[in-house]
Amino acid sequence: MTHSQSSGRRCDALRRRQFLRGIGVAVALPAMPSLARQRAVASESPAANEMATTSTGAPLRIAFMSIPNGVQQDHWFPSDNFELNDSMRPLESLRDHFQVISGLDHVHATPGADGAGDHARANATFLTGARARKTAGSDIHVGVSVDQVAAQTFGHLTRLPSLELTSDVIRNSGACDSGYACAYQYNLSWSSPTTPVTPEPNPRQVLERLFGSGDPASRVNNYLLRQEADRSVLDFVLEESRDVERRLGAHDRRKFDEYLTVVRELESRLKSAEQFREPPATDMPTPRGTPTDFGDYMQIMYDMLLLAFQTDSTRVASLLLAYDGSNRSFPQLGIPEGHHHLTHNQRDAALAAKVAKIDQYYIQHFADFLNKMSQTEDVDGNSLLHNSMIVYGGAIADGNRHTHENLPVILAGHGGGAISTGRHLRVASQPMANLFVTMLDELGTGVGQLGDSTGRLDLAAT
Amino acid sequence: MHIHVLFVRLMVVISIGTICETCSADSTSLDSYDRDIKPLLQKYCGDCHGGGSSDGNVTLDHFQSAEEAAAVPELWWKVLKNLRSGVMPPADSPRLEDSELEQIAHWIKTQAFQIRTDHIDPGSLSVRRLNRSEYGNTVSDLMGIEFDAALLFPPEDSGGGFDNLGDALTFSPMLMEKYLQAARAIVGEAVPTVCKVLPHQTLVGSDFQREDSKTRSSRLDGKKSATVEATASIDEPGDYTVACRFKVDGSFEFDPARYTVLFRIDGQERLSQEFGWGDDQYFTQTYDENWSAGEHAFELSLEPVVAKAASDGDDQGGSREDTSVHFELVSLRIEGPTDTKRLVHPDRYERFFTRDEPPLENAQREAYATEVLRRFTNRAYRGPVDDSTIDRLVKIAQETYRQPEATFEQGIARAMVAVLASPRFLFRLENVVPPEDPDATFGLVDEYSLASRLSYLLWSTMPDDELFRLAEGGMLRAHLAQQIDRMMSDDRSRQFVRNFVGQWLRTRDVTQIVIDPLVVLGYEEEFQSLRENFRSRSRRLREEEMSEDDRQLFARYRELRSIQDRFDSDLRTAIRRETEMCFEHIVSEDRSLLELLDSDYTFLNEKLAEHYDIPGVDGSEMRRVELAKDSVRGGVVTQASMLVITSNPTRTSPVKRGLFILDNLLGTPAPPAPGSVPELEDSASRFGDHEPTLRELLAAHRENALCASCHARMDPLGLALENFNALGMWRDSEHGQAIDPSGSLITGEEFQDVRELKRVLKDQHAADFYRCVTQKMLTYAIGRSLDFRDEETIDRIVQRLESQDGRFSSLLQGVIESAPFQKLRIKAPETVDLSSKITPPSTELAKVTQP
Repeated sequence: MTHSQSSGRRCDALRRRQFLRGIGVAVALPAMPSLARQRAVASESPAANEMATTSTGAPLRIAFMSIPNGVQQDHWFPSDNFELNDSMRPLESLRDHFQVISGLDHVHATPGADGAGDHARANATFLTGARARKTAGSDIHVGVSVDQVAAQTFGHLTRLPSLELTSDVIRNSGACDSGYACAYQYNLSWSSPTTPVTPEPNPRQVLERLFGSGDPASRVNNYLLRQEADRSVLDFVLEESRDVERRLGAHDRRKFDEYLTVVRELESRLKSAEQFREPPATDMPTPRGTPTDFGDYMQIMYDMLLLAFQTDSTRVASLLLAYDGSNRSFPQLGIPEGHHHLTHNQRDAALAAKVAKIDQYYIQHFADFLNKMSQTEDVDGNSLLHNSMIVYGGAIADGNRHTHENLPVILAGHGGGAISTGRHLRVASQPMANLFVTMLDELGTGVGQLGDSTGRLDLAAT
Repeated sequence: MHIHVLFVRLMVVISIGTICETCSADSTSLDSYDRDIKPLLQKYCGDCHGGGSSDGNVTLDHFQSAEEAAAVPELWWKVLKNLRSGVMPPADSPRLEDSELEQIAHWIKTQAFQIRTDHIDPGSLSVRRLNRSEYGNTVSDLMGIEFDAALLFPPEDSGGGFDNLGDALTFSPMLMEKYLQAARAIVGEAVPTVCKVLPHQTLVGSDFQREDSKTRSSRLDGKKSATVEATASIDEPGDYTVACRFKVDGSFEFDPARYTVLFRIDGQERLSQEFGWGDDQYFTQTYDENWSAGEHAFELSLEPVVAKAASDGDDQGGSREDTSVHFELVSLRIEGPTDTKRLVHPDRYERFFTRDEPPLENAQREAYATEVLRRFTNRAYRGPVDDSTIDRLVKIAQETYRQPEATFEQGIARAMVAVLASPRFLFRLENVVPPEDPDATFGLVDEYSLASRLSYLLWSTMPDDELFRLAEGGMLRAHLAQQIDRMMSDDRSRQFVRNFVGQWLRTRDVTQIVIDPLVVLGYEEEFQSLRENFRSRSRRLREEEMSEDDRQLFARYRELRSIQDRFDSDLRTAIRRETEMCFEHIVSEDRSLLELLDSDYTFLNEKLAEHYDIPGVDGSEMRRVELAKDSVRGGVVTQASMLVITSNPTRTSPVKRGLFILDNLLGTPAPPAPGSVPELEDSASRFGDHEPTLRELLAAHRENALCASCHARMDPLGLALENFNALGMWRDSEHGQAIDPSGSLITGEEFQDVRELKRVLKDQHAADFYRCVTQKMLTYAIGRSLDFRDEETIDRIVQRLESQDGRFSSLLQGVIESAPFQKLRIKAPETVDLSSKITPPSTELAKVTQP
């Protein structure tokens, strides 16, 4: 990066601060703290500043949304020439900003030798492309998820390496799906094959984590106080941890390492927070808690994600809209039956129509999010949506038969102009992970392989 | 000091390494494979799993030697489970004699599982983090405040059916941030940062009384006029501040109601304002008062806003029924007089500080800080704390309190934040009594660790003073039985019921499950059309002006509306409590656990009794109710909790109900899973002109051998419960077709209805149930998944239950006295536990072991 480019971008940041006030979610920005970091990194390794950046130098972001229980396929997939079907109707006005990809599979979501438990398994496979070890809890193992690979490669560029969210807090007690540990069913993101990254269900906590607690006027100060307090406490925690580690037996140590990794990561983040000292600000009111209406709930979590991207607090996110197997009913749509129950409809047309209606409901909220993304200007004058790659889908194709081929996948955003949109891309049957490694390539991570990936997709803009 | 010595000894043990003596199985037992075991397997299993047959991909006759046979413990574990549950040999084949089964079981346990029955290995346990509810309870007990961890922390991921398993309790950056945040918030609320404050007193809702009744509450219904009053007495005249915290909440369907509120102090108006619906909104008002000594009165009045004249077309119509609005004075805090000389300690001062005020001189301050922090940290860490930790904490405290303007208490509070963020607080770190045998691979946990194991099992919180005192004196093991009794009769043992029964029988889920009563009871369409009708007209409809037809329709609408609301929080609570109270009853009277399968009593209040169609139970209080001789109720499988949580939002699921019984009551092992699930094609065309019943659909399912392997186990159990709808209410038919609850279990027993099924379960499957409940409770108690190495431990507890008629105390004592609960691995036994490898001692470790 040359000097003139970086100072040019600082102007962009100023411009951005001016215009962001008043759009959907109003945001005021500090002078792009991550840029300082980028410059520092650039002098050490020339390749690093290429990461997660568009050709114009704007941040390039990725996000993953998961929907449960597959889709009603005959209502969902568009025609070859991209005429949208019922379920995708809400995306009509955004048709130039996304594409539907068919032909992607998750072979590790199939039963194989593992038998029942398709929902938990699919949930665990979706972003990892790996097969979840069938265990009720003692030796959980799946794979690192695509978002976490990204976070681990360029997460240091932003205030938070990644953001994991959910709009589903329903938990059944007792054993989870057919002998699978609950971790598989309730987490999308995995920072190691054995470590799920718990998603945050509380919008209030997300906002306070990003911007500080209290009313808008006191947030910045509270944020700084929190950082200061955390720093001193963490020093103590690390000393204590070293004492504890010294005394643990071999087996205990394995589990404790998971904890130590987190504490060390947090410590290094707080140290590097010198660059991120001044938090971004927003005058969005603090959410009071979790909305009772599911639509409102999805919307507020999407809003939190938008805020995080807008302020460049992170470039990586996952949002578990509802865990796979969710049996939520939709009285607001006149559907009293449970979603999961309805998907096993044995092709009864009336029941299938209800599933399609639920699919559309999920898409509607996704479309609202994309709309806001498309109306929010990024530092380079393009929209946030332009500078993003957003995957929406799941690891079950047909919820009735539990197939895992030709999965429902939407890829929204233009990747900063690098990828083509406005089409139904039919690819030869291949692993979903091929899409993920292609995205990681676009982000410049240099990661060769993920899960069961066998190659790349051609997404290039023509 | 004691701890240091202990650890040095443990380190030495680890660094030396040992030769395992338990690995070579004794030869006589190995011989018994050829002599005794092989012929039995040939006789009972050979037709299907030998001589070239391999049903379910299982063969039992291909081993060249006894050693080869013993080398596949996972296979023998399956064999053992299937034999014990009676699933194998199949129902129509010859059965093993008890002695033959015992012979096989013994060989499997001692040879294939390599269990030393005289020296049971406790197994490998991961260090456990406090889960969300344990953390909340521990904080509340330690700090003396109510802390609701569910507001800040996400739910934990369970493993093996419980949310307290070390291996399943994971850690993430977000969680660490939350622990830091929580530590600050908790200390901020609980720990005083000054020594003296103005005198103060606080009134709460129950201090307020209605003029005309005995009800004590300051929560007022926005649709009814009411006045509540309270008084406070002060003995020193002067300037006081009165801070009132108010709350506005409610819900409405068509139109919210409005009302005015008047708040008076000593007859003087302090607040007069109109309110309407609010979504849990809180606000605080502060009033300055100059008071004389004596009584002072507070009065809160509410008056509904009367509907405006009908002519302006904006009245409330007939919809007020659906509106609920409330105004509440949550608390009233009086502080003063502002210039008093009689300052007092803030709340909870004595909980954390031991002197009236901190000393002023530096060295004395340091000594006092050390004393205060040691006292606190010993409790927080649930065992004696190291000097090095105290030194660090005192430094943190000093850094703060040595600053100008800062108080001593602020410094202490800052250090306490660090304590609550420490891994020694967040994790349950355990120590072992140094074993005499230097080669030992496991030993007894020390008394502090045992105290924590007991308190987290029975109370889901930290040990109390008595447990600490006993542990400190090394007297806890000697008083174990007496302590268990004391702990079980303490109120905190409700946590055991909430958390253990809540997850085992899933009663926790009753509050969140969504069931639509109108659909379940078949009124959905009628209700929707009535609702549309009245919604479109609500603006102008007044009941007294309705036509007779409208009036009847409206009455019907209200009736259906009340049906829609029937599955409300009161009923849900009653449903959850029924199951919990049945369990509590068995615990407190030390009755047989078999009463969970079938009993001639249950626990009901009026609402739940009405739900069950049982007459003669009045009032909201839950109490023991004797059931009629032919009653279908009594026993978990007929309780609404189980029936509801296994249902879909609009209908029952016999499959889920069957699975619940197999998983949670019988522990019947899962059959080999099918590779792929075939689709049920065109069900409608199979049944010609009629809509197939659930029973017919499931029967079609079972025609496929692949499906039958599972569904033959689940379906008969679930179909026997079809007389209970998705809300757990009785029904004789569904969609006009009579329900046929008869069937037979995979083990062969036949039954005509749920009454007979319960009897079959209780009479024929008591051993399965004992084994199942033992496994559940052992898992919960020791915080890890069980494996085949635990079979002997389980067997002993099951034997104890059988010999003591299933009494709860035999289960509880059996679990607490078991090796996994009493002991802890120091290192992995090398030959038995191949999966966990010993990490070579680190350089730091080596340093510790240097003399």
